[in-house]
Amino acid sequence: MLTSCSHEITNGCAPTVLQLRSRVTFTLFTVMAPFLPSFRGNIKRFLTDVQLLQYLIVLFGLFNLSLCLYEDQVGKFDWRQNYVGRIKFASFDTVSTAKKIIVATEENVVAALNLKSGQILWRRVFERGYAGRIHALSGISDGDFVTVSGGVPALVRAWDLATGHILHEWPIADQNPDRLDSPFISFSTEGLYSIERIEDVKWHIKDGTLHHILPIYNSGIEVTSYDSKTGEKLNNRFISAPFISEDTDCILAAPYLACLRGDSLAVLFMINLFDTTADVPSPVLTTINTIFGAGAEGPYKLETVLGDEPVVSISTDNGQRKRIIIAGETPVPIERDIIGNTSLYVTSLDKEKILLETTYKNGMTEVAAFELHTSTPRPQLSVALTHSSVQAPTIVASICPRQSKGVTCRHLLSCEDHVIALLQHSKLVWAREEALAKIIAVEIIELPMSEGEQAIETEFDQKESIDVDGSWDVFSMFLRRICSQVNQARALLQTALGREPPQSNQRADLVRDRFGLHKMIVVVTAAGKLFGIETRKGEIIWQLTVPNIRGLTKDSDKMLLYVQRGSRHFPHSPQCALVAADKDTNEGIVYTFNPITGQPLEGLTRLGYKIKQSMLLHAPTEEFLRSIVILDARDRVHVYPECATAVAASVGKSTYLFTADQTAGVLSGFSLAYSTPQNLIAHKVWEVVMSTKNQRITQIVSKNPIERVHSQGRVLGDRSVLYKYINPNLVAVVTQGVGSTHKNTLNLYLLDVISGAMVFSLVHKRARGPVHVVHSENWLVYSYYNEKSRRTEIATLELYEGKTQSNTTVFSSLATTKLPIVERQAFIFPLSIESIRETITEKGITSKHIMVALANGGILELPWMLVDPRRPTNPEMREEGVIPYMPEIPIHMDAIVNYNQSVAKVSGIHTSPSGLESTCLVFVYGLDLFYTRVAPSKTFDVLKEDFDYYLIIIVLAALVISSYVTKKLASQKAQKQAWK
Amino acid sequence: MTCIRELIYSLVFLLSCLIFVSADVSTANRMTIDNDEDSSSDLYVIEGKVFPWENAASSGWQLMTHVMVNGGEHYGFLREDGTFVISNVPSGSYVVEVVNPNYAYEPVRVEINSKGKFRARKVNLVQTSQVIQVPYPLKMRPFTPFRYFQLREQWRVTDFLFNPMVLMMILPLILIMILPKIMNDPETRKDMEQLNNLTIYNMPEMSEVITSFFAGGEKPKTKAVKAAKKRQ
Repeated sequence: MLTSCSHEITNGCAPTVLQLRSRVTFTLFTVMAPFLPSFRGNIKRFLTDVQLLQYLIVLFGLFNLSLCLYEDQVGKFDWRQNYVGRIKFASFDTVSTAKKIIVATEENVVAALNLKSGQILWRRVFERGYAGRIHALSGISDGDFVTVSGGVPALVRAWDLATGHILHEWPIADQNPDRLDSPFISFSTEGLYSIERIEDVKWHIKDGTLHHILPIYNSGIEVTSYDSKTGEKLNNRFISAPFISEDTDCILAAPYLACLRGDSLAVLFMINLFDTTADVPSPVLTTINTIFGAGAEGPYKLETVLGDEPVVSISTDNGQRKRIIIAGETPVPIERDIIGNTSLYVTSLDKEKILLETTYKNGMTEVAAFELHTSTPRPQLSVALTHSSVQAPTIVASICPRQSKGVTCRHLLSCEDHVIALLQHSKLVWAREEALAKIIAVEIIELPMSEGEQAIETEFDQKESIDVDGSWDVFSMFLRRICSQVNQARALLQTALGREPPQSNQRADLVRDRFGLHKMIVVVTAAGKLFGIETRKGEIIWQLTVPNIRGLTKDSDKMLLYVQRGSRHFPHSPQCALVAADKDTNEGIVYTFNPITGQPLEGLTRLGYKIKQSMLLHAPTEEFLRSIVILDARDRVHVYPECATAVAASVGKSTYLFTADQTAGVLSGFSLAYSTPQNLIAHKVWEVVMSTKNQRITQIVSKNPIERVHSQGRVLGDRSVLYKYINPNLVAVVTQGVGSTHKNTLNLYLLDVISGAMVFSLVHKRARGPVHVVHSENWLVYSYYNEKSRRTEIATLELYEGKTQSNTTVFSSLATTKLPIVERQAFIFPLSIESIRETITEKGITSKHIMVALANGGILELPWMLVDPRRPTNPEMREEGVIPYMPEIPIHMDAIVNYNQSVAKVSGIHTSPSGLESTCLVFVYGLDLFYTRVAPSKTFDVLKEDFDYYLIIIVLAALVISSYVTKKLASQKAQKQAWK
Repeated sequence: MTCIRELIYSLVFLLSCLIFVSADVSTANRMTIDNDEDSSSDLYVIEGKVFPWENAASSGWQLMTHVMVNGGEHYGFLREDGTFVISNVPSGSYVVEVVNPNYAYEPVRVEINSKGKFRARKVNLVQTSQVIQVPYPLKMRPFTPFRYFQLREQWRVTDFLFNPMVLMMILPLILIMILPKIMNDPETRKDMEQLNNLTIYNMPEMSEVITSFFAGGEKPKTKAVKAAKKRQ
């Protein structure tokens, strides 16, 4: 959300693409004319009805406009990568012959991974959000396993291990009316207990029985058991445990439930939940002093130790050290201190129980093995590993089968940066970068020039070659030129002799290509890990972990990525900045790095204040670096880097910021006009209040700041021009109704964020989200769900200044007071939409298409012409290049750019211009990644890939030869005639 | 139509509420917290079966296919035989779609009323009130494989020859080359002369037609006419 006051708009009246098309039709006829002399009259008759003709041709062009791929182009410009997400539960398949690992992840995915390679064998994606959250994963028995997922009531699904088919599905639909009276369980729309309590519910699956364990405050624990296959309710027990309250920290170490209560004199309770011998199982108490001895200080933290035994760990002294307790009829504390940040796992070797302690220090991972009860070290099972992709791992699953040649332990590691890795014999078998399943921000950056071109660039570096008095230092220029040419000759010789050129710090293929199609995708993930992915094959070039960061706001992962300097400013290296918040203090951080090499530049800078708003300043410094202007929570303005304050102050008069407070429903605008060169001052200039009583701001969409608008108007049927209202400061604000009466309303406001003027607003009644908005040029496309007709609809708005243009060169929000003419139209969209984005090209000449990610996994390229709000409903009112209105938008399967490479759970689409005007690069992210390129007006600036060079050569050659032959023949004939 | 149906629904809802209130006041109080959509907290199960495309029954099609309700609110997964269930569905109207990357299935709208009665009908987004019932439990059959790709144009001689441009060039060529040959043949010439004698009045008209036909045309055509004239 950034704004800058004045944007230059390219002047001049170039034809729109539609005009281009009509011109093409005329040239076609001029070519045809000599061949059709006798039909000239007919043509004239045709030409009198040019309108109809153009109309037909546009229609024809539209149907012929299949933007589609040919089958042999599959995988040529596109690639897809599948991910599963961060591991929540995992278990090794020891039963079947083809060994695999079953994982359940935080992205609501259950998948089987190949043990040897880590590839996904099969993957099942559950519903988004709470509805698909996985609560439990059972161990494997008889070639199947069970998952528990969803909100309330939860769904139990049994899966076939080998094929991934579902075997059974049943909901835990038992609704105990007594529970409704418990004051701590609210009866909400989510179901029987509120969202906060879902985490308190524990699940345990063992031997085909599913236990649903619900602690009820001040009363006890309710354990309901079901047959995990059929859903049959086996029994329902209530265990009295009045010590459980909101303050108790309870964990499950099956079959025991361990609860820690109290802070200074903590007491640990353990209850055997499944002990059927005793009528009333009584909790076993252990005081904290028997575990740690005297002198331990709170707060204490209770954790389950994963693995095969009921073991819990308690940490003390601010997480400095911890000890484990083996649950049993009498809990056995082990009197050995373990370092606080060690992660623990209990595995079994034959009948022995082994405790694995994983520590990570200075890039080295150590897994130390101890006998659980006696604490005797087992050095033959301990491993150590140093690998760049394994950082702060925890063991999530482990097996140690005894084989003929000894014991081989396999540990599945889940790292802090979401990497999944398999460790075997202190060797890393494979690692998966699962952080990429949750991408927050994306930028596509041009690659730098090749070294040869860089040499040429230095040769003609203007700054050094021009003397102060303006005379050219000819001699040094000549020297430099000779030097570079000698270098070039040497490089040529080296390649000719087949010798490798000397190794450079950058890879030889990571250079800018002729059409600017090869670029670098820089992504920021929720794990705080940054990646550089090249676009040709989707290979990860570099990765960086920024420790201890989180999203800027509490409820979203939003982090911002700014390109401060592109790669066009040689010899300055490109620079990107990540703006995020510190995990502990919640104060802002800025992390700068080189997006091509992945080298940190200035590293992590802690700002010491909370970030409210930030933007990239449009004015660069002398080193072509665009600084970041940050507004902190107390409305003070800062510039990063600080040395650019003067530059920011110099453009302060035309720099504005705006902020939106979602909870208060207030939008406010700030001006930097009162800044001094030393100090930037934000002065509030306007404020718009959207009453939170009946609406809530859900989305704020501004235009892409790099967008260019090529044509300023639209030619109408009567040859007059309707000028577009191109306001770069226009922002769309979407609010959704709250409360009982306004629940299903959807409001859309178009706000000028410089002046605070409300340009347009509209209300949809009986409409609800999900709302997806695209805001570009002079139009806005948004989708919503129409509750009355129960369908997804796409509505479009188009803004026009009218038949005259207020200012032909620069648009100014402060000078323009005239409200635009708004054209609008709504269409039925037959499929559900996950995300939507417009295509963008370098100069904006190419027509715009809208990339729509569909819920069924397809990515649709929708021509804007189909959602044009000027599509006439009255067939008499037809206009040039406009198709008559039809309520339903047709979906052509050949406009699905990812063909059968479905992508799941798309969270966003990023588009970027390429060096070719016709081509736009598209990167779709979500659970899967997909990259391709699209050409909305077809590739008009390059020859088609299947251009028939042979045919044209043959035709030309034939023409030349035939002309010579006929010349000869003609002369012979003339000779004969002369002799007659 | 929809209005009437909604009216009936709301009436039914009101009635049920009234009955409820008279039965148990405390529960009714709790109901008011709830919003009107979840008036009955009963949850239902949508059932059906997905059939594979005839020739593609093997190769794990069940894994590539899943059933999606209302664009992802609920998912259903296929058993090995293609049957599926979608659990935890409150009463309401749902669009059930089969998602498969290779074959198109027609979506079905399933309506569950507050009494738990099911009705399945074809999805009609334009005329929402039109009801064409389909059998429930659902039977989803693929109607066509998706065509994502354009076919590459291949160069064929016939295509080239039947191109109107080429035809337009070849036809005059034939007229130029073959007509004089025919004229040269003595027998036909005789015939022609006879014809000329018979239809002497038609002749100039013919030539006129021909000249007007080729008016402004290329040289060879005029030449041909000339040659014909010379021979006459």
